[in-house]
Amino acid sequence: MSKLQKTLAGGAFTVVVELKPPKGTQVAEMLAPVGALQDRVAAFALPDNEHARMRLAPWAAARLVKDAGAEPLVNLTCRDRNRLALESDLLGAAALGLENLLLVSGDYVTLGDHPQAKPVYDADSVQLLQIVQGLMAGQDSAGNPLKGNPVFFPGAVVIPEADPLAPQLLKFDKKVAAGAQFFVTPPVFDLERFRQFKEHMPSHPVKLLAGIKVLGADEVAQAAAGQWRKVYSLPPDLLAELSGKEAEEVLALGAAQAGRLLKQIKDEKLADGVYLKAKGRTDLMMRVLEAAGLQHKG
Amino acid sequence: MIIAERKPFAEIKAMVAPYKKILIIGCGTCVAVCLAGGEKEVGLLASQLKLALGLEDKRLEIGEITVERQCDLEFLRPLCDFTADYEAIISMACGAGVQYLKQLCYLQPIFPGVNTSFIGVNNEPGYYTERCRACNHCYLGLTGGICPVTMCPKGLLNGPCGGTIQGRCEADPEKECAWSKIYHRLELEGSLDKMRRIMPLHPHDRSTTPGTVIHPAFKRRYGAHE
Ligand code: SF4
Ligand code: SF4
Repeated sequence: MSKLQKTLAGGAFTVVVELKPPKGTQVAEMLAPVGALQDRVAAFALPDNEHARMRLAPWAAARLVKDAGAEPLVNLTCRDRNRLALESDLLGAAALGLENLLLVSGDYVTLGDHPQAKPVYDADSVQLLQIVQGLMAGQDSAGNPLKGNPVFFPGAVVIPEADPLAPQLLKFDKKVAAGAQFFVTPPVFDLERFRQFKEHMPSHPVKLLAGIKVLGADEVAQAAAGQWRKVYSLPPDLLAELSGKEAEEVLALGAAQAGRLLKQIKDEKLADGVYLKAKGRTDLMMRVLEAAGLQHKG
Repeated sequence: MIIAERKPFAEIKAMVAPYKKILIIGCGTCVAVCLAGGEKEVGLLASQLKLALGLEDKRLEIGEITVERQCDLEFLRPLCDFTADYEAIISMACGAGVQYLKQLCYLQPIFPGVNTSFIGVNNEPGYYTERCRACNHCYLGLTGGICPVTMCPKGLLNGPCGGTIQGRCEADPEKECAWSKIYHRLELEGSLDKMRRIMPLHPHDRSTTPGTVIHPAFKRRYGAHE
């Protein structure tokens, strides 16, 4: 059982922090938060070519996190690999001692930095969860037996503010049926909408990590210009607070606000933990955790 | 039907630059309906070429002919003698037609006059949209008559991705999310159970290219063929 799984199972409020694998081979910056924060967070997540932008492979980054003494969470998308590559990367991850998985469809190729690349999507996220179940049971997706079964702790994504919500909830059920044991949400800014989602959310014995994000000036400017196209909304008063400020000031205010949200989610027990995106920057992560009163682990 | 778009004029002009006598062959079926390669478009291209080359003081002799279907030998065979006089051919048919034509007229270079786009529908004159990727494993009975392979850019089979915004597709906000629509249709039909079932991985081997279909009644005749 992975440490992340144990932490969640133990009922402790769980903090996962997302790192930024580099575009290139300089990994020091990506790993900086690991040394600084590993006694306060349950796991470090490694996105997989996030937003369809090519970066260092998540399983390699995850192994580096592990070598640095911390717990990694590997994200794996269906966008860039067919079933052979997915399965072989999964076995590779297992061989490197990586157990925690966040399995997603993946942002569409044309939105990223290689817009002419071939989109793969040989499996969808539900089928990828099934593939993982199969591998754990000793079979590849074609039914061939494995020599040595991997052990994984598979998670998936659910979208609280999905519009329409009903198809999303139906897919949530399918992901649970396909073996997802925990769920991560996109960033939550509007707690009222998150509470409403919790009311609709079918009850399953799975864990929920709410997304927490430190907003950047570019995102604030985008939203202020009415060009916000994300699956989560920004409350107008937050936008007003952050608009028209210097980039670093936006980040500082955004980190304080993220910390307050985190604390509220924890205090109200709205989720089992959080998945924090703070631009991969240690200082911002610290500020969030401090603002949330989470200086020390637990 | 097959939807195509006429290639840009500059590209076609460059293709035929080395020749003095060319033949433009139109196709009277799909590409005629989508106004890309029928008789009218053959005439238009011929005039465009003559005009443009005339302005440059160059001479190009152009023959024009349009057959019912270039993807059918029955209509291509009579062309054989006719093409012998020309140095090069522009076929205005879809990619299938161009290839079939070249199989017969193999002595001259052949150039495609259109880019073949997709299998789609004629929404209104001049406005065509894709509907089918010819996956050879049709799901339409399970998805409320909306193709998940084609209408969802990711070709997802088990419901929407996380990118739907107000019922619109993550990849293109101009388009509706296919899975939002599928859900809605199935709900209206009272058959949401179809969507609750987990769809297995798609059998891509069914659409390994190049595909072949032999009608059951003809199995004996073509039995051992490719
Ligand atoms: S599922 Fe879609 S791509 Fe496949 S045959 Fe049916 S309509 Fe065509
Ligand atoms: S938004 Fe809908 S149609 Fe677009 S990729 Fe996602 S599921 Fe497919």
